[in-house]
Amino acid sequence: MSETPNLVLFQCQWCLFAPADQEWVDTQLPENIHHAKVPCTGRINPLYLLNAVQGGADGVMVSGCLPEQCHFKTGNIAARRQLDEFSDYLDHIGYEQDRIRFLWLDLQDRGIIQKELAAFEAQITALGPARNLATRAAQKAGGANA
Amino acid sequence: MPDLDALKAEAKRVLDEGIVEIVIGFKAGDTPLHPQPAFFRSAAEVDQLVYGALCQNNLATYLTRQPKTQKIGMLVRGCENRSINALAFEGQHARENLYLIGIPCEGIIDWRKIVEQTGEEVISVVEQSDNTILVEAMSGYYTLEKASVLHESCARCIHPNPVSADVVIGEPLPEGNPAMAREKVEAFAGLPTQERTAWFRQEAERCIRCYACREACPMCYCEECFVDHITPRWTESGTTPAGMQGWHIVRAFHQTGRCTSCGACERACPMDIKMTYLTEKLNDDMRQKYGFEVGMDPTVPPPFSTVTLDDKSRFVI
Repeated sequence: MSETPNLVLFQCQWCLFAPADQEWVDTQLPENIHHAKVPCTGRINPLYLLNAVQGGADGVMVSGCLPEQCHFKTGNIAARRQLDEFSDYLDHIGYEQDRIRFLWLDLQDRGIIQKELAAFEAQITALGPARNLATRAAQKAGGANA
Repeated sequence: MPDLDALKAEAKRVLDEGIVEIVIGFKAGDTPLHPQPAFFRSAAEVDQLVYGALCQNNLATYLTRQPKTQKIGMLVRGCENRSINALAFEGQHARENLYLIGIPCEGIIDWRKIVEQTGEEVISVVEQSDNTILVEAMSGYYTLEKASVLHESCARCIHPNPVSADVVIGEPLPEGNPAMAREKVEAFAGLPTQERTAWFRQEAERCIRCYACREACPMCYCEECFVDHITPRWTESGTTPAGMQGWHIVRAFHQTGRCTSCGACERACPMDIKMTYLTEKLNDDMRQKYGFEVGMDPTVPPPFSTVTLDDKSRFVI
């Protein structure tokens, strides 16, 4: 395998309240981490996770605000039911549940995102590349997108 | 088996009295193995009505294709009744515009299991009172145990009785055992990851993308399905491995908390692809995690359309 796993980070735009953290994520994220910033965890459709999985992600991380601290009151809790079930369901057919991690971020947590990403990357490296489910054809090979 | 004459009499009565404009049921099809769904608009047409264990469609699928204000009468079994409740909750049809003629269901026969034993050319199928069926085929006469040819979804059915029919014709049947329904899900979940993936790939990658499962399913009524969506293209639309897998993953996931385990998707599949091992898993999760049973109580919202702060105890470590 390539030594560095492909990761996707879905990040709620409100949870990284510390400007230094957001700055780091926006500008200095390692190249193997694909960053998707969404207005709220509630905006994340399970299809987004499928898109990441079929796009060749070895691991997917979803960060969101703590319950009761959602900018839109209940977006994070509402999304969690679906996303949690979707990751459980993907595990059922072969995309291990360890490859999808949900992260609750407190507004006061500073510097935690870098540690969490490093820990997640180590975990995915130990698991190896995800090969169980088929991935899309790349665009240059005539695939639909990505 | 309900009394066919009683069914016809009830269908004629509701049409004659103007309670409904149309009755949806079954009539004899092109072959004895395939009775087909039929729309009866007058009492005279109702004479063609048939009902039997080979009536394999889920009639609730026609509900979303009729005008919402139309008064519809429908023959419903347990699964169809629960589908209708779920559809009514989603605002697809007003329950007061429906007249449901309930039938306690003894299970639907999988015609493929008959054909396996008798060959393709079947002349007639007669259900006998002692839970056997007599099949006359070109290759001879066969007496088959009904239990041995039931569709898998029906063999592990939990709720065979209609739950909110206006009239029930026939004696109520005993409820099924939820533990038996779980057995298959647990057996599959107990397999190593590689075997589960191998099974999933083997099933999903036979798909020819005809979407018969979507058409047969009462809960698949979206104006535009996610696979038909072009910008963004959610998953490949051709018969590529990723496209076929994406379709099977999301088709089943969109039924979470909505699927009544009727098995119409599997029966409709021309490639004989198994799909209920996916929807059963999701249904089982809804039962275990949220205590939700689809369509049993039309006032209870499905887990994915409601939010409680109690969830945080489960998700926050």
